[in-house]
Amino acid sequence: MFDLGTSPAPLVEAQALGRNFPQRQGLLGRARDIWAVRDVTLAIARGETVGVVGESGCGKSTLGRMMMGLDAPTTGAVRFDGRDLDTVRGPDRRRLARRMQMVFQDPFGSLDPRRSVGAQVGDGLRIHGIVPPADIGAEVARLLDQVGLPASAASRRPHEFSGGQRQRVAVARALSTRPDFIVADEPVSALDVSIQAQVVNLLMDLRRDLDLAMLFISHDLHVVRHLCTRIVVMYLGRIVEEGPAAQVFGTPAHPYTRALLTATPSLQPRRREAGFDVLPGELPSPANPPSGCPFRTRCPLAEAACAEAVPEFRQTGPGWQAACIKARPESVA
Amino acid sequence: MLRYIAYRSLIALFLVWLVVSLVFLLLHLIPGDPAELLLSQGNIAADPQAVAALREKMGLNAPLWQQYIEHVTGVLTGDLGASFRDRAPVMEQILLRLPRTLEVILAAAFLAALFGVPLGTYAAIRADGKIDAFVSLLSSVALSTPVFVVGSVVILIFAQQLQWLPAGGFVPFSEDPVQHLKLLILPAGAVGLSVWAVITRMTRASVLEVLQRDYVRTARAKGLPRGPILRRHVVRNALIPVLTVLGLEMGTLIGGTVLVEFVFNWPGLSGYLVAAVDARDYPEVVGIVMVISVLFVFLNLLVDVVNALLDPRISLGAS
Amino acid sequence: MSRAARKLILPGILVGLLVAVVLLAPVLPLADVRMMDVPGRFSGPSAEHWLGQDEFGRDVLARLIWGGRASLFIAVGSALAAAVLGTTLGLLGGYFRGVVELVTVRASEVILCLPPLLLALLVVTLLGAGTGPLILALTLLYTPNYARVVYAATLQVRSLDFVTAQRAMGAHPLAILTRTILPNVLPPLLVQMSLVVASAMVIESGLSFLGLGVVPPTPSWGLMIRAARGAMEVAPMLLVWPSLALAGTILSFNLLCDRLQSVLDPRQITAGGALWLHRPARKAAAAPQPAAPDAPLLRIRDLAIAVEGPRHGLDLVRRADVTVLPGQTVALVGESGSGKTLTSLALMGLLPDRLAVTGGEALYTTREGTTVDLAQLDDEGFRRLRSTEISMVFQDAAAALNPVLRIGDQLAETLRVAGTPEAGIPARVVDLLRQVGIPDPERRCRAYPHELSGGQRQRAMIALAVANSPRLLLADEPTTALDPTIQAQILQLFLQLKRDTPGMGLVFVTHDLAVVAEIADRVVVMYAGEVVEQGPVAEVFARPRHPYTAALIASVPEGGAERLVAIPGSVPPPHAMPPGCRFAPRCDFARPLCEAAAPVASAPAEGRSTRCIRWKEVT
Repeated sequence: MFDLGTSPAPLVEAQALGRNFPQRQGLLGRARDIWAVRDVTLAIARGETVGVVGESGCGKSTLGRMMMGLDAPTTGAVRFDGRDLDTVRGPDRRRLARRMQMVFQDPFGSLDPRRSVGAQVGDGLRIHGIVPPADIGAEVARLLDQVGLPASAASRRPHEFSGGQRQRVAVARALSTRPDFIVADEPVSALDVSIQAQVVNLLMDLRRDLDLAMLFISHDLHVVRHLCTRIVVMYLGRIVEEGPAAQVFGTPAHPYTRALLTATPSLQPRRREAGFDVLPGELPSPANPPSGCPFRTRCPLAEAACAEAVPEFRQTGPGWQAACIKARPESVA
Repeated sequence: MLRYIAYRSLIALFLVWLVVSLVFLLLHLIPGDPAELLLSQGNIAADPQAVAALREKMGLNAPLWQQYIEHVTGVLTGDLGASFRDRAPVMEQILLRLPRTLEVILAAAFLAALFGVPLGTYAAIRADGKIDAFVSLLSSVALSTPVFVVGSVVILIFAQQLQWLPAGGFVPFSEDPVQHLKLLILPAGAVGLSVWAVITRMTRASVLEVLQRDYVRTARAKGLPRGPILRRHVVRNALIPVLTVLGLEMGTLIGGTVLVEFVFNWPGLSGYLVAAVDARDYPEVVGIVMVISVLFVFLNLLVDVVNALLDPRISLGAS
Repeated sequence: MSRAARKLILPGILVGLLVAVVLLAPVLPLADVRMMDVPGRFSGPSAEHWLGQDEFGRDVLARLIWGGRASLFIAVGSALAAAVLGTTLGLLGGYFRGVVELVTVRASEVILCLPPLLLALLVVTLLGAGTGPLILALTLLYTPNYARVVYAATLQVRSLDFVTAQRAMGAHPLAILTRTILPNVLPPLLVQMSLVVASAMVIESGLSFLGLGVVPPTPSWGLMIRAARGAMEVAPMLLVWPSLALAGTILSFNLLCDRLQSVLDPRQITAGGALWLHRPARKAAAAPQPAAPDAPLLRIRDLAIAVEGPRHGLDLVRRADVTVLPGQTVALVGESGSGKTLTSLALMGLLPDRLAVTGGEALYTTREGTTVDLAQLDDEGFRRLRSTEISMVFQDAAAALNPVLRIGDQLAETLRVAGTPEAGIPARVVDLLRQVGIPDPERRCRAYPHELSGGQRQRAMIALAVANSPRLLLADEPTTALDPTIQAQILQLFLQLKRDTPGMGLVFVTHDLAVVAEIADRVVVMYAGEVVEQGPVAEVFARPRHPYTAALIASVPEGGAERLVAIPGSVPPPHAMPPGCRFAPRCDFARPLCEAAAPVASAPAEGRSTRCIRWKEVT
């Protein structure tokens, strides 16, 4: 396992990251701010897999795209290996892209239906001159083998593969440039359970073998818990809790994390009766977020003070913090 | 809803301004001098003196911005100038002929919808059946035959050979209503045929698509009988895009009845336009183009508004 | 050759012939198009003049072919020019968005503010008649069409993950545009191309007909029709030939466009319409039998669902056995392709077109205590049961609710089916919405589906399903698309509904084993169209008796195991089902015997069954 006590120098750092998608009201109306991500500070080191969990609309995918440099942040900055992504442009930026790669959710949309699998896996090799042109075929075969596909797969088109196989191809493509950092945005959500396990195992092996930094975005708490060393819980664009996987899921300090864990169905059901503890209400609109703590409108512990200011992070353990004035580790019954 | 209409109207006004400016630009920015272009016939160069006189008359010697302002104020006050040919005010002529053109278009649209919607619906419900194949063939042919061909052929058949209807002409409704309607049938039918084809095909495609929708399955799951499912859930939803298409078709027709009016000697706006183009009568051409374009833009506005009334999702998305 | 490509043969040949004839016009043994022969004017077909002679005694056939050459040249020329221009504008605008979009796509769309024929007339007024101005006018006219189509396609393709992956890869934007986006926007471009050629011919011939297009004596179809109109009484055929040529050519291009569209966009294949609308009623519908007093609510035995028609025998579900007692919750669980959803749809008579129940029985006990075999009912028979006896909650509530009707109206419509008195409907609608936990139901019943959140839409869907107090409720993945906290709310709602209506049976279809554990009494595990195991939830999860169930449970990342159990391979497609046990190729326990014959059901314990010959060794 990983030593969490000594923190290595982070490879990727997000500082006070925010992304606004202003929406205009009518032709002459004033643009209304819609913050998908707000004030996110996050660091990821080599060999570390950080899981981002949260419900739809919490900003986890936008965060992933900004960490990849695919979306420009409205506020704050992303630093990769000490360099601010926003200041690197043109050919330099494209060279930097070699070191960061992405795996997407939809196994049917993430591969170009018109090009062979080999051509797509080989793209990165060609663009960045990873291997001499003559060796591309062999390297593609090696990459496919690494994700458990036969070398003959290279000449086939994506539609000849099943969802799980396509996702392996997408992983092979991401690995082709020998990246240091991978963002995986819901990579197993569209797959059946038995296939999901194949891809999760593959990602576990790669993390072990390649010493990658990985940002793993998912709404499935079980998968995240299984795969990740550190967890970030997001709600309405903000991080509400962050810490080592065992602590965050074992004894969550933030009431939202607790609610999320309670709500997630389990093979060992804790509630057979109607009337169990279910979080009421729905996610507020990001166009009109509550004052103070974003979670206070649904929080069972909310009190007047929660509406006054966005709560500061409170340290609840080494490398473990929660943005709640009542943050306190507590096990979920 | 009102906000949405206001928003769309603003856009329409903006488009009208664009059209007015575009016509101005076309006239003044193309290479060559409009006055010279006007007066030259083929390869024979125009008489320089006549060109100079015409330039003066057209106000071409003023600075461009001044001409533009005059052009825009003219349009705003409904003053489209006087014809070169007979000095008659262009606006007057347009107001006389526009209703006749609109009459043909409305009659055509009415006929097209009357026959197109039920046939299209039936063809969709019985997709791949014999009637569907026949309707599909008929609409393909109708869609592929230009309106002046249809017009010429119906004259050949109904006026020339069978002698059921007059070949063309115009009598005001107030003078002889029966003859007026008799004269209307062929042009309206010729224009309506292509619109009918578009409406039928659109209805068929739209109904087919809606039939695959989950909410139709829900309607069945609710235990509704076929009639209400078809009326309330299938046809009602399927007609929204059909109405849009009908509106857009009518818009295209406002400028597209030129050929039919020519074929049937119908003294509408478009025939006037062709005569003006032929005679290179600038004020006339510009005036007619302007009026038709404005109508076109406002018809599109109407389509948007009707759409928003029928589909509650639209106005929300825009506001 | 694929079925799709075969559809292109006819229009391809037609267009090819046309192009060949007009291209070969100079070498064909045709009469001179300008040679007049005044004594021979208006003569009918002869050996020298196959289609006769026109008002100047010129050869009609030669003029037809040369006229087509002029028309096609103008139409194809302007279509190509507009395609190059419009595609460039659309690609740039769609990829870079922002200011680039404004100066490319939006700017070109200004042209669309003018009716098409009018714009052409305007250009011709300014530049004079002739081939050059015509091509210019038509190019100008159609550029925005291409720009729009390519722009829309680019936007769509650009947002796809594989394009994002290219960007993430560090590929140059131009390389992405030409190598990845252009090939993917080519299909709509091709369709647009054939459409524009046809439409350009219409405008070109129209202008020529008015005398504003092609200048005589160059032959043109429009001009020929114009001339023939004057001689209609003497020689009506002179009008018919060019009309046929023109309409036939445009028809060929339109046909090519239609076929291209249906080949390139397979979603459009919706052949058959809706069979339920015109499938004949079954003649010999079995009369309802009185049910035994202890009969279960539903007993499915040996149910089979297969594709109808030429590919008959492709069975999607077979040997399905499920029993539901009053008040019981039975979960149908399985991965995609397991047949769980089809089985539930079959119970409502809502199978997709081309699929039908081909065997077995599904005996349902009605409120009156009679037994109906759902496997034998026609649509009208089902209609009488739907909503009042059997009802269904669908997965995607956003799609399953009619977008243009208010929630309250959709509920009222359902209530009317059961004959609820009109006066009581508004109050009942509000009651139902309150019962499913929609806040402020008096106001919310006037909302349209899109005005509700995802969770509330699913609640409204459930209200629709329970409106007429059904005795059997089917729920097809009702919580799959929802977030965890909302999913928990909806599961709680189901539990509460069950508590409030003790006699109602619930069949809950899901792929999520954890949800099964939370809600169901019994679980039926399906794989590749077969029921492989069933029994009480706690027993099956504690000690699965089929290797598939065991593997499925072990693949859920919940136990804290260092490594998940992954089932190798994937579910076989319906047309390539293995003989014998369908799970055998992926099974750790498989023996040669497994592939020899489909295993029969064994009963490891009271109320349990498994289709595995080695069930004793599984756990």
